[in-house]
Amino acid sequence: MIDVTLISFFVLAVASVASALGVIFFRNAVHSALSLILTLLFLALFYLQLGAMFIAIVQVLIYAGAIMVLFLFVVTMLASEASDNEQRDRIPWQRGVAAALGVVLVGALSYLLITGATINANVKASGANSLAATVTKQGDTQAFGLALFHGFAFPFEVTSLLIVVAILGAMVLGRKS
Amino acid sequence: MSIPVSWYLVVSAIIFTIGIAGVLIRRNPLIIFMSIELMLNAVNLSFVAFSHYLDSVDGQMFVFLVLTVAAAEVVVGLAIIVSIFRTRRNIDVDDMNILRG
Repeated sequence: MIDVTLISFFVLAVASVASALGVIFFRNAVHSALSLILTLLFLALFYLQLGAMFIAIVQVLIYAGAIMVLFLFVVTMLASEASDNEQRDRIPWQRGVAAALGVVLVGALSYLLITGATINANVKASGANSLAATVTKQGDTQAFGLALFHGFAFPFEVTSLLIVVAILGAMVLGRKS
Repeated sequence: MSIPVSWYLVVSAIIFTIGIAGVLIRRNPLIIFMSIELMLNAVNLSFVAFSHYLDSVDGQMFVFLVLTVAAAEVVVGLAIIVSIFRTRRNIDVDDMNILRG
């Protein structure tokens, strides 16, 4: 019998890598942005496959929605300038070197991950701390919210400070002086 | 059959390397930013995979915080790119050498 999970993993892996390659190889910046949206949606499907419902929805809403709308806005605003002068290259050999180094990095990382990465059963959360136990008892988003407002309340509050600083920075930089 | 965690990590490593290559070979700062987003998302994928396989919700918390940092970074970065474009009418990163000593 053919395993549905396995097939969907491989389809998602090939699709997300292909659309990620599209981001860096498309000439037109708008096509790159659309390809990046596709990659983010495929990654959201990965998150669904891994059982992280809330993160998958947030990925679609915030990344593929809000952040990429901002990207597309700026890309289309600067598009006429952006795609013209990418033709001339001052350092022509850097593409080949970057590709070779990338292949070396992927090879090294894959070798190490396949030979070395195993989950030790001792470090797994168990009993009441287990995610699966909380999810079956209370549901996925509830488990996320419980963890967020109990163990991670301080980082969550610091996040709000970060957002205020980002808003102020964008206003200061965007102001006509 | 369950998928081993290393397969997810390999996909994450491939996407991360594509992001690095994008930062190295493209000279449009918008596409460099998109490549940085690719790298952040590759790390998010490995966080979620570890969260699933370690049966702990901490990985998803980190993804949530990374998402917020990415949003703040994009807002400030795009504002800087737009203000550079406003003053210089050109956003090729090879031409941005006014800080060179």
